[in-house]
Amino acid sequence: MFRNNYDNDSVTYSPTGRLFQVEYALEAIKQGSAAVGITSGSHVVLVALKRNAEELGSYQKKIIKVDDHMGIALAGLAPDARVLSNYLRKLAMNSKLVFNRPLLTSKAVLSIADKAQENTQLYGSRPYGVGLLVAGWDETGAHLYEFQPSGSVLEYNGAAIGARSQAARTYLERNLDAIRSCTEIEELVVHGLNALRDTLSQDMELTIQNTSVSFVGKDKDFTIHDNEDVQQWLDKLDSTSNDKNNANDDEDDDNDEPAEGTATAADSTQPELTQEGAAADDNMETD
Amino acid sequence: MKAVENGSTSIGIKAKDGVVLAVEKIVNSKLLVPGKNKRIQTIDRHIGVAYSGLLPDGRHFVNRGRDEASTYSNMYKEPVSIPHLMDRLGLYVQNYTCYNSVRPFGVVSIVGGVDANGPHLYMIEPSGTYWGYTGAATGKGRQTAKSELEKLNFEELTVREAVKHAARIIRQAHEDNKDKDYELEITWCSLEETGGQHQFVPEDLLQEAIKFAQEEDDEDDEDEEDTEMAT
Repeated sequence: MFRNNYDNDSVTYSPTGRLFQVEYALEAIKQGSAAVGITSGSHVVLVALKRNAEELGSYQKKIIKVDDHMGIALAGLAPDARVLSNYLRKLAMNSKLVFNRPLLTSKAVLSIADKAQENTQLYGSRPYGVGLLVAGWDETGAHLYEFQPSGSVLEYNGAAIGARSQAARTYLERNLDAIRSCTEIEELVVHGLNALRDTLSQDMELTIQNTSVSFVGKDKDFTIHDNEDVQQWLDKLDSTSNDKNNANDDEDDDNDEPAEGTATAADSTQPELTQEGAAADDNMETD
Repeated sequence: MKAVENGSTSIGIKAKDGVVLAVEKIVNSKLLVPGKNKRIQTIDRHIGVAYSGLLPDGRHFVNRGRDEASTYSNMYKEPVSIPHLMDRLGLYVQNYTCYNSVRPFGVVSIVGGVDANGPHLYMIEPSGTYWGYTGAATGKGRQTAKSELEKLNFEELTVREAVKHAARIIRQAHEDNKDKDYELEITWCSLEETGGQHQFVPEDLLQEAIKFAQEEDDEDDEDEEDTEMAT
């Protein structure tokens, strides 16, 4: 089970200066289903793929509203995300109460980053097992941040986390200019869903049940759309399933789980052993 | 433990009238917002920090520095002196090596600023030891950066010149492990230029410095070609 002697806790460095517990936490994000965020400068869109544990079960919530001007999308351990979102809500309310102004997105993410950092340096706690995309609109404009359990926070124009998110990032990189010049939320949502669709495995498609759409921006409060509301955007996609999958997926993906659709927290016991080391190298923020 | 020093290069220069801090930020993804995700932070109005290693640990370090600085100025009604601040931070960092319930900091920080006694530059290690420097470098490219720093004449150097040299040195340190693109971040603190405050250098000066670095680099290449021709 253990890879080596240096991963029992998050206060032990490996001889090469790595923190394995923190890297495992980053691994937990990849087990979660994908979430994509993009920003055009005036608006931010978060879209996410929801999973249901079983056919008759309900879908796991992927997008959480923090305040009128801020919301998060998660990948990884959902309970951890709830802890963090509750903390963010507390900060947002405090900011309104004490300073009579909405919480800055940058302040918010850096606060949870510092909170997460403590868990990597103190014995007796574990790092959070969740990655977040934080979207916010404030006096400094529209912002999209990616939060990682290592306590690192970076601002992106487009970001994707979760299973097969590499495919989505490839899409975002190719279409970055188009995304940045979007003026309508509608266009932005379509780009987001296109990127999300690229993360799908062969036997899946975007449906109104498994897709969440949310946005925030200029003169627009943070709103989440589920179920029937999502249909209007799905109609605008040229396809809701990933046509060009396997051939491309093998190149792009860092996670080739075949049975994505049925993967649940319970059967998520297939770590990609071969890629684990390489992927961890990419993600552990050492500089 | 020392291997965390594989982080990106940071340097600090103490000139005769102030200090300059510079970092090389590796651009890991095209999707990152250019010019954001600042790496150099301010502890107090007159003190700045650049660090390499585990970035979240660096933030923890800076937060503690801010606590120390504000506690001091609240109590004594004057800005904290930099040697005193370093002493306190040295103790704090050292404490994290003493217990099995915590791990040491994964960063090497370069702290610089101007106080009542003039400019100061320090570098602090995960062990809690700190040293005063006139030119400090840490991170992946520290060897190259150090040898370049040694060539500078610190008695004559002004901060304005130091900014250019910083850009040049970061560029040279990057050459050695040229894998990805990088963004340059430079801050300065001097009585003449910034009124004793720690600030990012203005955009035009930054661009000028980058241009200078590029030209110097081209000249070097030509020199090398010349020597090759000669032999």
